[in-house]
Amino acid sequence: MIFAGSQSVIAQINQWVAPTIDWHALAPELVLIVGINLVLFIDLSLGAAKKWAMATLTGLVFLAAFIPVVTLAVIGDASREMFDGRYVVDGYSLILKAIFLLAAYVLVLMSQNELEEGGYYQGEFYVLMMCSVLGMVMMTSARDLIAIFVALELLSIPAYMMAAWRKRDSRSNEAGVKYYLLGVFASAVLLYGMSFLYGTTGSTKLTDIGASLVDGDLLGLQVLAVVFVLGGLAFKISAVPFHSWAPDTYEGAPTPVTAFLSVASKAAGFVALMSIVMLALAPANSVVRPMLWVLAALTMTVGNVMALRQTNIVRMLAYSSVSQGGFILMPLVVIGTGNAGDSVLRAVIVYLLIYAFMNLGAFSIVIAVARRTRSGEITSFGGLFGYAPGLAVLMTIFMASLAGIPPLGGWIAKFNVFKTVLDAGDTAAYVLALIGAVNTVIAAAYYMRVLRQVWMAPAPDGDVSPIKVPSSIQAALAITAVGTVLLGVLPGLVLRFGDITDLTGALAR
Amino acid sequence: MLAVNFLILAAVLFSIGVFGVIARRNAVMVLMSVELVLNSVMLNLVAFSQITDSIDGQLFALFVIAIAAAEVGVGLAMVLMVYRNRRSIALDELSEMKG
Amino acid sequence: MEIMTNDNWLLTVGTFLPLVGVLVMLFIPKAEEQLLKTVAVITAGATLAVGILTLFRFDYGQAEKLQFFVDVTWIEVIRSNYTIGLDGISLPLYFLSMVVTFLVIIYTWDNMPDAGNPKSFLILMLVLQVGMAGTFVAQDLILFFVFFEVVLLPMYFMIGVWGGEHRQYASLKFFLYTMFGSAFMLVAFLALFFQTGAESFSFMHLVSAGGLISNEVQVWIFAGMFLGFAVKVPMFPFHTWLPDAHTQAPTQGSVILAAILLKLGTYGFVRIAIPMLPEGARAWAPVIAILAVIGIIYGALGCLAQTDMKRLIAFSSVAHMGFVMLGISTLTTLGINAALFGMVAHGLITGMLFFVAGSVKHRYHTLEISRLSGMLKQMPRMGWILGFAAMASLGLPGLAGFWGEFPAILAAYSPGFGLNVTLFRTLMVIAAVGTVLAAAYLLWLYQRTAFGEPSPEFSGQTPHPVGAGVNADHHADHHDEIRDVTPIEWIAWTPFLVAIVVFGVYPQLMFGVMDPAVSELVARLGESLNP
Repeated sequence: MIFAGSQSVIAQINQWVAPTIDWHALAPELVLIVGINLVLFIDLSLGAAKKWAMATLTGLVFLAAFIPVVTLAVIGDASREMFDGRYVVDGYSLILKAIFLLAAYVLVLMSQNELEEGGYYQGEFYVLMMCSVLGMVMMTSARDLIAIFVALELLSIPAYMMAAWRKRDSRSNEAGVKYYLLGVFASAVLLYGMSFLYGTTGSTKLTDIGASLVDGDLLGLQVLAVVFVLGGLAFKISAVPFHSWAPDTYEGAPTPVTAFLSVASKAAGFVALMSIVMLALAPANSVVRPMLWVLAALTMTVGNVMALRQTNIVRMLAYSSVSQGGFILMPLVVIGTGNAGDSVLRAVIVYLLIYAFMNLGAFSIVIAVARRTRSGEITSFGGLFGYAPGLAVLMTIFMASLAGIPPLGGWIAKFNVFKTVLDAGDTAAYVLALIGAVNTVIAAAYYMRVLRQVWMAPAPDGDVSPIKVPSSIQAALAITAVGTVLLGVLPGLVLRFGDITDLTGALAR
Repeated sequence: MLAVNFLILAAVLFSIGVFGVIARRNAVMVLMSVELVLNSVMLNLVAFSQITDSIDGQLFALFVIAIAAAEVGVGLAMVLMVYRNRRSIALDELSEMKG
Repeated sequence: MEIMTNDNWLLTVGTFLPLVGVLVMLFIPKAEEQLLKTVAVITAGATLAVGILTLFRFDYGQAEKLQFFVDVTWIEVIRSNYTIGLDGISLPLYFLSMVVTFLVIIYTWDNMPDAGNPKSFLILMLVLQVGMAGTFVAQDLILFFVFFEVVLLPMYFMIGVWGGEHRQYASLKFFLYTMFGSAFMLVAFLALFFQTGAESFSFMHLVSAGGLISNEVQVWIFAGMFLGFAVKVPMFPFHTWLPDAHTQAPTQGSVILAAILLKLGTYGFVRIAIPMLPEGARAWAPVIAILAVIGIIYGALGCLAQTDMKRLIAFSSVAHMGFVMLGISTLTTLGINAALFGMVAHGLITGMLFFVAGSVKHRYHTLEISRLSGMLKQMPRMGWILGFAAMASLGLPGLAGFWGEFPAILAAYSPGFGLNVTLFRTLMVIAAVGTVLAAAYLLWLYQRTAFGEPSPEFSGQTPHPVGAGVNADHHADHHDEIRDVTPIEWIAWTPFLVAIVVFGVYPQLMFGVMDPAVSELVARLGESLNP
């Protein structure tokens, strides 16, 4: 009896037909794969003096991968489904692919000088970074547990190595090992949950799982599965109480890697969470909603309170990114109420985009200033306004945007989140919104503390010679600043992402 | 049904693995414990594949095996790197940063 | 509410014109201080010119209608539009903000705060003006909120960078208090939006739809808005940021804070909270009235305990804003008219007092009341101006301050819409006591600083006491520089002084503009409250 099914398994294999592949839809991923190999082999044949070319090349690869994203968006007909709807390229995934590629490009600009001057294996670094970005790009299209798992590991494993990139630095070691151990453990827990999801519904395809789950009539194993899956993903987005790795890893890792982890890797975690929750777990929202509610409330609050106590800027930004994660979680709490589908997606995506701009911007400034001060303390920003007014003004824009002050991008991101949550209109939603409101004020306190140093404190060591900002970081700053301001003043540019009915429409089909 | 026994075995393995991750302070032992959890997952997937009569679980298990191998490769390299720098792989001692 | 779309470019230009100046100034090197100041004055002057044109084009016969109305799609997805317009309620405040900014920039010409860097200072001031003017013309909740918050950062920096000794503490306190209020306010705005059917954020829609929300919900939403606006006013339990901010801010910051920023809160009550949530307003009116009267008495007593001139004026602001809020809480035409008049009058008078305080500080390097005396002898004109402003502030009939306070007290005698008459009459009596206290502290202030002989410390006749501390050489430099009012100061102050007299003698000038709009507001309240 044990192997009763074996006959039909064989039969299934015999029925296998090669899937048709839409090469255009896969083009962004293919360009990245070609790029990875290109950089890897060119790097092998290049002398140490010419390694700088790797950064340029990597940047070009990201831009090249952007082209098919644009053409797909312009053609923009119905969603392109492959492998029986397990890998889908639609409006939702295209927007996210664009965000990841753009963020990756800015990250290359940010890393360039740091790696060049430190002499840290430039070619390998960019190869790993591209692998990780490939995982993210895949994640946006993955609509199947296996695909999500593969994408998640593809983006995580290189990130573990990047966190430990400064091999001889024990802090970087510590960052890498902590990130790695907790990361693998979380993946294992996630997998355990996934195995139950698969086992109780008989499919790994998200929409099939969604169709099999019946709210109010969940099996015990299914509840367990939901808890494990959400717990595993909570680690990736560093939600409290699964956040303990984040501050140490962020502080110890090289700063560009920290920016990478806190923006791109985190966003990918949210994409996985969004796809799974919206497509597969939505019917189980009697379990999902309370769990996400608690996660969101805890994440914002604990992240903020811890950030208040930090004296190191990177560590403060780490906790701030934890708490921003709580805000991004907020809209997901109201899934399954009213017409929340579209507006939830819009709120999360718009937040991810704006968050990418402002957080990358803030990290760029940290990198630019640390090149001179060689310090990560918040006090090292003292007197910045006096000797580098340009950087000071930009830092003001980014911090104020993170704090959510209009008319900057961060405001519209938060506004959208609140709007989506309040749309649900029940008590839980209102309480969460009020917790969020209090948290914006707490957050303002520590962002303003940085600005206080920038504008009002004297330079700590009296050194007031101007800062030289390398052109690549200048470019990164320009992109992020323009994005932050523009999206705040004319949010209509991105709020049109509201036309993403594909993902939610898939459920109904 | 007998397949349930596999699930129970998997659950036991999972519990041992989780306990190991929490209780062990040696990086290699933690790594081994994670492997136990992954094994329980694979056992689960194959058992469910039988129960639900679909091939997806076995495919999934293959993917997990391949990726877990890559993961462990990276993990051991990192443990080695830490050992070189510190002559110790005790996780308690990895606590330079706090707050 | 009817609208008129004549000359609809006026408001957009008037609001955003300062940004053009900011753009120009960004490209002028920091060292060209004269050029920077000139550009700033020209920009503010041009903005004021647009404001004056607005005054002429405004149709006073139809002051209850929204004029110069513009409605353009802005953020389509969230149904927020760029909707602006002006009626009799906002016109005086809109214009006041332009006048004050212009005069403050002129005052800055030779009264730059010690921290220097006029480029950033003036740029911040112009940005501030955009936020203030925008708040008064916005006719869409989201637009209003954006402008309301735009004000925050420039003021934070103005206090934090150019302020006094404890500037960092004061600026952060100001920032966090306001942020706290506006966070709840935003939640309340959104709740209002969804409760009215999630159709539009425009004031007109919300005013007509808000009244249909159930009573209990209105009370809750009003609570959120109350937090936001009451912090800004500031009302009694939320006032603690104000004395710190005022005391530490540079003169220019204090003047703008007193003259305009505080009005954003009261304006919010009149424009948004009350008309959109009539039932909520009725439920909250007694609370507002009680807190307002506590503010009046607390502010007055606080004044009597101060030793610092600027801090005293700041506490008097708390008391004066108490009168404004008392007027609003009566929900009557008279009360709201008085409140609006009081807002402008307080802006002029307290602004003037802060100007004088700033100039005194500039000359004596101290604002300790116990160290100042004999101002009338040493610089008679300045002394007379201080006396004049103090008289106006205590509500002397014939000066502008009177018309803000007296009708507000009178209105409390018969509050509207079935509010508890006994309560309001009791409050009226207490508020009247507050005016006496106001007279007491202002006369005390005036007597101590202006009468008597100039203190030997500053008279320049007696030699220095040996070892007067680090400030000793400071004094040596400035002794003979204790000059009377300078020409620049005359230019900056005369409009204030004239306006205080004109509005005091002929209040109808302003009441005439506001009354139609206020009457309609109260009439609409009546429609929802007494169906």
